[in-house]
Amino acid sequence: MEADMDMEMPDPEELEWMESHGFPPEEEEEDAYFDDPDDEGFVPAAAGVVQPRVPPQETAVSPTKKPADEASEGNLKRPPPPPPQEQGDERSKRRNVDCEDSGDDDWLRYSPPVAEVVAETTISRFASDIRGDCIPITAPNGERVYAKLATDGSDGGGIVGSRQMSHISKPNFNHKGLLTESFHSLSSRAEQEALAKALLESTETQTVEGCPVTPQVTEQLWVEKYSPNSFTELLSDEHTNREVLLWLKQWDSCVFGSHIRATSDDVLSALRRHSSTIQKNSSIRNFFSKNKGGPVTSQDNMLQKAHGGNSEDLTSSFNKRSLTDNAPEQKVLLLCGPPGLGKTTLAHVAAKHCGYRVVEINASDDRSASSIEPKILDVIQMNSIMSDSKPKCLVIDEIDGSLGDGKGAVEVILKMINAEKHNSSDTKTSAEDTQVRKSSRKGHKIPKLMRPVICICNDLYAPALRQLRQVAKVHMFVQPTISRVVNRLKYICKKERFKTSPIALSALAEYTECDIRSCLNTLQFLNKKREALNISGFDSQVIGRKDISKSILDVWKQVLQKKRLKRVEKVDSNSSTDRDIGSLFSLISNRGDYDVTMDGIHENFLRLSYHDPMLQKTVKCLDVLGVSDSLMQYVYRTQQMSLYVYQPPIAITVSRLVAQVEKPNIEWPKALQRCRTMLLEKKDKLKTWQNQMSPLISRHLSVQSFVEDIASPFLHIISPMSLRPVALNLLSEREKDELVQLVDTMVSYSITYRNTKLILEPQERANGLMVSPEVPSLSLDPSISDIINFKGYQSEHIALSLAVKQVLVHEVSGSSNFYTWNPIFVSPAYRLPPLQLLI
Amino acid sequence: MLWVDKYRPKTLDKVTVHDQVAQNLRKLVKMENKTWKIDTGTRTLELELVMLSSAHHVEMNPSDAGFQDRYVVQEVIKEMAKNRPIDAKGKRAFKVLVLNEVDKLSREAQHSLRRTMEKYSASCRLILCCNSSSKVTEAVRSRCLNVRVNAPSEDQIVQVLEFIGKKENLVLPAGFAARIATQSNRNLRRAILFFETCKVQQYPFTSNQVAPPLDWEQYVCEIAADIMKEQSPKRLYAVRQKFYELLVNCIPPQSILKKLLAELLKKLDSDLKHEICHWAAHYEHKMRLGSKAIFHLEAFVAKFMSIYKEFLVSTFG
Repeated sequence: MEADMDMEMPDPEELEWMESHGFPPEEEEEDAYFDDPDDEGFVPAAAGVVQPRVPPQETAVSPTKKPADEASEGNLKRPPPPPPQEQGDERSKRRNVDCEDSGDDDWLRYSPPVAEVVAETTISRFASDIRGDCIPITAPNGERVYAKLATDGSDGGGIVGSRQMSHISKPNFNHKGLLTESFHSLSSRAEQEALAKALLESTETQTVEGCPVTPQVTEQLWVEKYSPNSFTELLSDEHTNREVLLWLKQWDSCVFGSHIRATSDDVLSALRRHSSTIQKNSSIRNFFSKNKGGPVTSQDNMLQKAHGGNSEDLTSSFNKRSLTDNAPEQKVLLLCGPPGLGKTTLAHVAAKHCGYRVVEINASDDRSASSIEPKILDVIQMNSIMSDSKPKCLVIDEIDGSLGDGKGAVEVILKMINAEKHNSSDTKTSAEDTQVRKSSRKGHKIPKLMRPVICICNDLYAPALRQLRQVAKVHMFVQPTISRVVNRLKYICKKERFKTSPIALSALAEYTECDIRSCLNTLQFLNKKREALNISGFDSQVIGRKDISKSILDVWKQVLQKKRLKRVEKVDSNSSTDRDIGSLFSLISNRGDYDVTMDGIHENFLRLSYHDPMLQKTVKCLDVLGVSDSLMQYVYRTQQMSLYVYQPPIAITVSRLVAQVEKPNIEWPKALQRCRTMLLEKKDKLKTWQNQMSPLISRHLSVQSFVEDIASPFLHIISPMSLRPVALNLLSEREKDELVQLVDTMVSYSITYRNTKLILEPQERANGLMVSPEVPSLSLDPSISDIINFKGYQSEHIALSLAVKQVLVHEVSGSSNFYTWNPIFVSPAYRLPPLQLLI
Repeated sequence: MLWVDKYRPKTLDKVTVHDQVAQNLRKLVKMENKTWKIDTGTRTLELELVMLSSAHHVEMNPSDAGFQDRYVVQEVIKEMAKNRPIDAKGKRAFKVLVLNEVDKLSREAQHSLRRTMEKYSASCRLILCCNSSSKVTEAVRSRCLNVRVNAPSEDQIVQVLEFIGKKENLVLPAGFAARIATQSNRNLRRAILFFETCKVQQYPFTSNQVAPPLDWEQYVCEIAADIMKEQSPKRLYAVRQKFYELLVNCIPPQSILKKLLAELLKKLDSDLKHEICHWAAHYEHKMRLGSKAIFHLEAFVAKFMSIYKEFLVSTFG
């Protein structure tokens, strides 16, 4: 099969051939996608995948003549094909021999033959009506009759009516009495007949239905049954799929050797051309409803990378081992997204597609570092001894759930990546050298990561993944469009002969937020219950809402955005209000992080455009937020966590008051956080400064009193206007006094000017208020003036001229080092004599 | 050094403002009967002099430790209180511990303090200082001799300023000291600082010279003006940003609220004054209960806006 080969091992010639013949393979696949993906068999069906139903091709080829052969095959493919109750029917029919087997459909009807027989009084409801021996027979519908046992030879048949059968089923011909034939042969024959019938049916209905009714007893989950087997069937976003595939392809040189690598360039270009053809044809499936530029440009990048890798290949293709260096830059792929979008499926399909054997480690396995390390080593170092020695690809599922011991996986992988980096940093010489060293090291060094590793998580920002996030190639899964999901659901429903309407399906998809797994499970459940899917009953009906905590941004959005009421709902707005409140309540309490929730509401609610001329709503909102704050503080103090239950109603109150239909522009509440951290920072700065002062001064100085009372006058005092920037001996007595006073103050408060690189604020630079950046400027150290720098406030403080500042710096440094140095400086009594004098 | 530090009295004899209190304290010291005292006074300069009267004391500020102040009280203070001073010859059989900002101690710390106070009274005397005795628990208060230090009256401030002026050989124009005293709002430290600022800025004092206002108070005035100008959620949002600016720069929210109220009351119709004061008190109370001051500051502003706007509409139609 062409498609098969194309996917299995992208062959450029093949692709080119297809291109030149104007035979876009995608189109073919597209048909397949809609009609019957299985019969194309993209992934070798022989890989042990249980085909859910009989492949129509096979049935078409093989006629019904080989029942035994077919039976075994059928049994393999389709768990017990003849349903037991049918068997039971069959058996009772056999005993009730008057039933005829002429038509395939007739056998379901029992009563007409019975009525017919009753007329002949060989069968009666009452044993007394029958002369001679009789046997009780119970019909499948519970009717109980007595049949006359015929004597040998009379009428040439066992029981009256069996003569009709005798010419149809010959094996019956020679039996005597009811149980002359063994039960086993009867039942086996019944099975064969049923099988033949089923096969006949399937060949007949294949064109219409695609597949026969699946047996109801031990049926597979639909999720499993219809899980995509090939790359084209994937429901996830095309762009993501492609990226994942490209990433896996980058491993080719490392894993398979150079020969595949050499072709990859062509493949990539072919892929690109394909993608463009798809884009043209994409009107049917809206794969590329998003930005069209995205995939192409990224592929261009990839192409360039591929070129680079290619040239490297040529130089070092002699030494296959050295090719390990050509592994992609990011050794780990991290897929993340909400549940049910097909992350695991994508990983498996893509890996299989690129010719890997998938080894999965999920949360159910033991994931402590000690136990997982050998496992990973097995995967990345060893090859299977089986005939198909496919390289392995490690898929670590649910990696974000790994906490405590489970962190092992992440740690091991990180260790490997890091080790590799060290290796590569110190071995930049030649390939041979690397190899030698590597082999010498093999015993004790941590091995390189030589096989692709795909990690899957739901929450990208889980703390356990912080480090992994930095080294891995991250792909976010986005929700597929509803129409895409609905298309697939429709297709499956059709296959399963489950009657639905597209509207209901799209409502279902919407309700489950495009969680395909949840959709399919719901549908199967309903199918099982033989109930139809109706839109109205979603919340009351079977479909359980997922108990997921939404991101905090979603919570804020829900709180601050009113749901647009549909016209239908408006009639019973009361009940919808109740429902809204209920859902909001569960949303907020599921999230749980009330502190941040309230901060976010506080941060954002004032920017909504709600109508509030007298500000009563605003007052109310802020009041309840205040209540929430007090409550929080109370809980914090007394540890009565149960009081948290009163937090969601507060948020709901705000929501009812101010929520608008328009989409709010939600911002993260940075202001409060920033305020807290900066407050701490500044307090800290002031404290350090305070510690530098002599205790005589500092003990009268609390941070609060400084900020409130002292800061402003102090800044005035240390920048007197009267000071002239002249040599000391030119100053008048009074000016000298002032200078001494000033220097004394600065020393005692341990303040000086410091040479700083001028970092101009942009607006200041624009104003041209400050000196040009080349001139070094002196600023206060510690920078007390920050304390009074309020945004949008012009203080009246005068900055001293640079010359004066220089004089001051000189004086201050001099006086603090040698207090006898300056003749005009009188040392304060409290200061200790400097060390020089003591010695 | 600043005049504030330079002219701070060093002994009880030199206290000029609270001479009555100082007299009493001196008597106490003489009797060697020093017990614990709480000096409750607002914004006082003289408060600290009490500690200076003893040469053998340890001063600390346990509330600096934040919410872990309990450990300071339980470990450090207890350790100090347990041991008698080394040079004890019967003459000085105890040490003196001075604890600042007791009102900022957490409840737990205060509870652990009260037992220490009693148990080790033989070897240790405590002097507790705070701004408001209402935030010190009853249990601690009842174990102490409470001494209230009032804010100095304007006359007293004028006296102090004149005293400093004489020492510095300055000529004060008539009414200059009084003006500064008024501006300082009965805060002696502020008054002296203002005085020095005036001197630095322009020495031969002019007759109508005033000290430059405090920057943060100026900023609060701007906020008040903003609030009076327009009452809307949008304006409230702008005000919020300004509040953040103040809070970031370590201005305590209580002070902001107080100053803001004062500024608003200046421009308010007298009918509303009482109500506004009530609400200010209400929100200050809530502010103390909670931890996010900005919520409550904003709530007060919103409340004021609401009331004021209603008033405007009903008056002017």
